[in-house]
Amino acid sequence: MKTNTMSYKLKQYLLFAGVSTVIFACVVIIPFIYGLYLTFTSWDGVSRNKPFVGLTNYVNAFGDTGYWTSLGRTFIYSAIAVILVNAVAFIIAYMVTSGIKGQNFFRAGFFVPNLIGGIVLGYVWKFVFNKALVEISQTISSGQAKSLLATENGAIAALIIVSVWQYAGYMMLIYVAGFMSVSEDVIEAAKIDGCTGTQSIIHISIPLMTASFVQCLFLTITRCFMVYDVNLSLTNGDPYGSSALAAMHVYNQAFINKNYGTGQAEALILFIICAVIGGIQVYVGKKGEVQA
Amino acid sequence: MKKKLLSLAMVAAMSASLVACGGSDGKSGANGSGVSITILNSKTEIQTQFEEMAEEYEEATGVHVEVYNADTDTTVASQVATKYASNDPYTISMVDAKDIYSLADDYAYDLSNEDWVSHTTLGITVNDKLAGFPFCVEARGILYNADAIEKVTGKEFDPKSVATLDDFQKLLDELKAGGMETPVGILSEYWSLGAHWFPMIYEEQADPDAFVNGLLEGKEDLAGNEKYNELMDTFETLVKYNYAKGSASNADREETSMMLAEGQIAFMFGGNWDWSVINQYDYTEHLGMMPVPQNTSDGTNGKLVGGGSKYIFVDSSDATSDEQRQAALDFLNWLVSDAEGNAFLTEKCALVPAFDNIDASALDPLSLSVKSYADANNLVPNYNYLPDDHMTVVGQEIMQKYLDEAIDRAEVAKEVTEYFKTATPIAH
Repeated sequence: MKTNTMSYKLKQYLLFAGVSTVIFACVVIIPFIYGLYLTFTSWDGVSRNKPFVGLTNYVNAFGDTGYWTSLGRTFIYSAIAVILVNAVAFIIAYMVTSGIKGQNFFRAGFFVPNLIGGIVLGYVWKFVFNKALVEISQTISSGQAKSLLATENGAIAALIIVSVWQYAGYMMLIYVAGFMSVSEDVIEAAKIDGCTGTQSIIHISIPLMTASFVQCLFLTITRCFMVYDVNLSLTNGDPYGSSALAAMHVYNQAFINKNYGTGQAEALILFIICAVIGGIQVYVGKKGEVQA
Repeated sequence: MKKKLLSLAMVAAMSASLVACGGSDGKSGANGSGVSITILNSKTEIQTQFEEMAEEYEEATGVHVEVYNADTDTTVASQVATKYASNDPYTISMVDAKDIYSLADDYAYDLSNEDWVSHTTLGITVNDKLAGFPFCVEARGILYNADAIEKVTGKEFDPKSVATLDDFQKLLDELKAGGMETPVGILSEYWSLGAHWFPMIYEEQADPDAFVNGLLEGKEDLAGNEKYNELMDTFETLVKYNYAKGSASNADREETSMMLAEGQIAFMFGGNWDWSVINQYDYTEHLGMMPVPQNTSDGTNGKLVGGGSKYIFVDSSDATSDEQRQAALDFLNWLVSDAEGNAFLTEKCALVPAFDNIDASALDPLSLSVKSYADANNLVPNYNYLPDDHMTVVGQEIMQKYLDEAIDRAEVAKEVTEYFKTATPIAH
């Protein structure tokens, strides 16, 4: 049997990847192209006809100040959240691999928040911010305390705190795997050469774990840019719409204000920004990877 | 070989189930001799009750009723339109008020000769044709806890005695002096501020449509408008006595409702739908709803704001036979004039009926208040044509700030006026 003919290759491909290709096309590729098409129409989300309007939606999207404000807010939120998530995740990953007592228990404990859905988590933390923390601060300082969620900057801070709590455990797992992959031999060799603990982390472990950093950064950046569920249940844009992040603005534009086309165009812009940032980050990160 | 047989069997089973789905159309219902009608139910929370009712109705009358639950992921209007496009309309469709106006001319049967017409004032008439049968009533106003008020004042509370803001203010001061420091709760949710409170400013104008169009064209002076100032006066009074003052834009709906139910506060702005939250708590006996107090002379301080919240129309096209149409009309009559039909509305579904002959004494106290205002024709109608983003922009970005006392009344008027200049009007 000839194995280098086109039809043989095609058959082999269909045999092994046919089903997944069809499913992938159905749920990702086709909706994406259809979505792209919708950005050129003035569809209201329900009507039967979808009038073609050319680039009007993009013009509207670029002129929608609310969108750019929410996007700016998303940048600030993401920048802080990404740094904090990774810093916290790295530190706890180091702690639970350093051989402390009950480290498996801690690993499981830190991971649990990630198993709770974003919506539930938002409501739980809403209670913590609005009731528990206010109650505590009133007892301590005796006076009318304001919830963090009632102030404009406070609401964003609250979102960051919850995101760190939610994602740090998951990223910790990846960092734990990174720590485990660093060979004992190298660490031992470093110690013999007179390396202190901190030095061996900075000069041996971290360079050998670049792959973990690349992965974690990619995951956190994309998740932070696209966050919607926690945003919805924790603040829902309150107060005064000042905590609505980009994804929420897109949703409201498309489904509450019924400007489906504009919302879709804004979603596409958000996607491109995410893809570019994610792509650059992975490219730069891969270049820095070190082989042991 | 075994696998092949198995897969063949699977294919056979699946196609059989497909055929079974296709077979249950139109008149091949359970009762072969009787008529079969279809109903689109867009009040999805009562779907179970509707289905049970359909079975009992068939046993009693022989008419087979097929109830379809509206999809929640698209609008009702689009589902009705799809069925008409495929020439297979529902005999009876339950839709929102604004859909009646757009569907009536083409598809709705004239109901003006029906027996129930004299019992309601809330039907929708389009071009001299009574097209919409009001399914239930919902209204907005101030919710009060009479027990909490009487406990402080020591005398019986009559909502009519606080129709003007001056009298209302006196009562609030009395409550405050009597130990209830903050007798008011205001929901901070943007739908409450932007879709329930602020629209009253348009709805209580002499001509709401002209006023909103004036705003859209940038010709109306909101800051100098009498109704705007009357309602804002009241709102400022409510804000002054708000229990959540200080972090008002963060007040929790559950907590506010609980405080009203248990009598820690005496007043809250809301509607009869708030009962579903209030009845989760240990509520006191005498709750009710009253109009929003205002210093006004136009009579709106004696009325709740609201009306029919779901409307039914009967298909007039050729796709529905005369027998089916008659069965549909009989069904509407049954809802209004049969004890079983009444019980379905008021007891099983706990809805406020739009008809004055229906005994609704088993309803919750808020609904009873709404019913009494509706029967006396004391409802200011809803305005259904606000731009779609009115709720988020005016409710969240403007009114929440005002609720927090971060901006003043003149700034609210300025921002709302600015908003209307760029808003997309709803065609109607």
